[in-house]
Amino acid sequence: MSEAVIELKHITKRFAKVLANDDVSITVHKGEVVALLGENGAGKSTIMKILYGLYHATSGEIWIDGKEHKIASPKEAMALGISMIQQHFSLVPAHTVTENIILGNCKGRVDIKAKEKEIEALAKQYGFDVPAGEYIKNLSVGTQQKVEILKALYLNARILIMDEPTAVLTPQEIDTLMAFVKNYVSKGNSVVFITHKMKEVMQVSDTIVVMRNGKICGTVKREDTNEKELAHMMIGHDLETLQAPGGDDPEKKKKRLIVEDLTIQKKDSAPVLDHINLTVHEGEILGIAGVSDNGQQELCEALYGAETPTQGKILLDGRDITATSVKDRITMGMGYTASDRYRYGMVAEMSLAENMLLKASYLKNWVSHGIINWKKLRQYTERQIKEYKIKAPDCNVTAGSLSGGNQQKVVVAREVDMGKSLVIFDQPTRGLDLGAINYVHKTILGEKNSGKSVILVSTELSEIFALSDRIAVMYKGRIMGIYKNGELTTEKIGLLMAGYQPDKEEEA
Amino acid sequence: MKQNGKIKDFLLWTVLAIVLGLIVSFAFLPLLGVDPVDSLKIMLTETFSDKFTMGNILIKTTPLILTSLAFAFTYKANLYNIGAQGQFYVGCICAVATTLALQTKLPGVVVLLLAFAASILGGGLTGLLIGFLKAKFNANEFLVSMMSTYVVQYVMQLLLRTALQEPKHEYLKTAYIDNSAWLPKIIPGTSVSLGIVIALAAAIFIWFILYHTSLGYRVRVTGLNQDAARMSGISPKKMCMTAFFISGAIAGLAGFTEINGMQHMLLTGFESDIGSYGIGIAIMASANPIGVIFAALLFGTLQVGGTALGHSTDAPASVIDVMLGFVMLFVLMSFFVRRKLEIRKLKHQKLQKGEA
Repeated sequence: MSEAVIELKHITKRFAKVLANDDVSITVHKGEVVALLGENGAGKSTIMKILYGLYHATSGEIWIDGKEHKIASPKEAMALGISMIQQHFSLVPAHTVTENIILGNCKGRVDIKAKEKEIEALAKQYGFDVPAGEYIKNLSVGTQQKVEILKALYLNARILIMDEPTAVLTPQEIDTLMAFVKNYVSKGNSVVFITHKMKEVMQVSDTIVVMRNGKICGTVKREDTNEKELAHMMIGHDLETLQAPGGDDPEKKKKRLIVEDLTIQKKDSAPVLDHINLTVHEGEILGIAGVSDNGQQELCEALYGAETPTQGKILLDGRDITATSVKDRITMGMGYTASDRYRYGMVAEMSLAENMLLKASYLKNWVSHGIINWKKLRQYTERQIKEYKIKAPDCNVTAGSLSGGNQQKVVVAREVDMGKSLVIFDQPTRGLDLGAINYVHKTILGEKNSGKSVILVSTELSEIFALSDRIAVMYKGRIMGIYKNGELTTEKIGLLMAGYQPDKEEEA
Repeated sequence: MKQNGKIKDFLLWTVLAIVLGLIVSFAFLPLLGVDPVDSLKIMLTETFSDKFTMGNILIKTTPLILTSLAFAFTYKANLYNIGAQGQFYVGCICAVATTLALQTKLPGVVVLLLAFAASILGGGLTGLLIGFLKAKFNANEFLVSMMSTYVVQYVMQLLLRTALQEPKHEYLKTAYIDNSAWLPKIIPGTSVSLGIVIALAAAIFIWFILYHTSLGYRVRVTGLNQDAARMSGISPKKMCMTAFFISGAIAGLAGFTEINGMQHMLLTGFESDIGSYGIGIAIMASANPIGVIFAALLFGTLQVGGTALGHSTDAPASVIDVMLGFVMLFVLMSFFVRRKLEIRKLKHQKLQKGEA
């Protein structure tokens, strides 16, 4: 192996309370593609942002070309030949490709025509088809990404960091990108590729660094490993004991929710939901596993009426509810705890009592003839505070003043009551402490036992395994398969979550 | 307990800010060659010497309560209705036209009720149009409402030259409305009419809507968290239009109280400041409908006092605006100072807790 260009030594990064990176050491050699693999929140982006000067390490050293450097800003990183393509592009839509690329790197009078030629030549060199004079807003996402890459190349970057570069691309665009990466490193440059998709890792990388919970849990050569081993490393070894579903078979019970062929596809882009078919019975928990941002939120919102499907049908208790509004579905007894509760589930500035009313402002529970019965609502809220052991002095404090776990309890308490027939939980325990997690889990099981249907979306496999009767795995807006709890091993589910059908040679 | 302390704190700070604002504005008077101590004496004695002038305070306060309520209501929905002035003018036009057309033909009470309804409807529809443009085309409601005032102003000019002009066609004003269609005076020896009662009732009504009805609740939810509103079956677009309708209706109502209660005719350039004062008052009262009453009363008092000052000393009439400006500035600054202190206190408490 050729000499090391970048050595990150024992980097630790602490945000207030969270340990984002814990003693992370990574070495990147000349002409090498390093894949940084891990689940969302594993600390992949953080470590690379430290290298790029966006964050500063709490402790640890950065060595470049055998010398220690302190990188205080992206500008200094760029001066060292390091460039990072962010998940969200930093382009000016109202400017042309050329203007964007030379932005910040030109002085005085600019000969745009000459620059355009220069950039077109650069693009051709790497086989990019990028119109140098076109406005960014007229370009597809894939081409915009190429512009981002050209921006880095224009500054003679020799180390390119790409944060989830394929997340927004079509399969064809991914192929072009992969070809570029190979071409680029063959010229003696290096690439760090942040991803949670194993397929790409196997396709393009030389060295694979797997991260979990801010730590490195393995550095392997591609030749020495396989998807199974990687999935294992990525998800962790602590999920071996699987709990078999208890009680009688819910599949024999009445079907409550039937989803047929549900698709959401915005014009000129990949589908967010791709022909989803699923059924939830009475008294059943359907777990939906998957790496986050694979269409779970869209599925929940479509079921709740907040997203309009472009195709397909949703039936609740035999009634077609595809065209009904959120308001109607609340009335029909649907509850939904959104994964981003702060944004979708509560009003931080309002009191707990007011937050309890949120979904019921059109219902008759506490409102008659348009006038709110505050006394009744406050009594109800006080009862819920007691029942759910919410740590709050009374029902008049604002929701925003509670801790995250207690906020979630408020939302869960409300939605469980609203959802008389079906409750959708999207990441119900994200960011909660163990006690609160336990309480929410007990509540979910309690609801199932009372005959309600439950959809549980989670990226935590332990949660899915502990609660679900059946498990559906989502990948890129598709259901990779629905299995009974107990049929799946950690390895198998890991592969499904990464887009592999383990039984078949080729990806379905 | 805690709540009481907060209110006391708030009152103390606000009074302090008002006094400071007055002191600073009076400090400018020597520059104009006017003795500030003398002027303060004159202002106080003139304002509170006779019943009639004190009545004037209430007269000035009436439309200010209404226009600031108009701003406050949309503010609760996180929308900005800068066009209360225009909606007020539409209310004026509707009230005066209805009254002139129907007076003496119908009993006075009926004419008053119809003028009342017409002004509310006119203002409300003007507001609704702005809300509709916002909801449908995502037009910037700030700009649209602001510019709508100018449109209404010129339409009013046109009407005052044509259909509504007084019979002699000499001045840009309407004819006087008949005595039978005047709002009754409620305090003898002053010109204070039922208008002030209507304004107070409107403030209480808006407070009730906001805090005791599901409609007001939805408006507030939309204002605080639009995403949560959408996810709760509340349509932010519908709320935008509703909020603008109610806001416009309240501003339009000011047209009724001013035409039938005070001026008894419509003339060009009528009460041309109440829209912008309304915004200031609403902000000063943190958009609380009950707080609006007191803030408006303060503005009314300062206006009357400032007018007295202009009459009896060499100070120019624009002194009023300087005074109002400073008082508002200081009240707003007191909010920020208070919040800073509160946050510092909280941090301190947290630190102590952490160490314990």
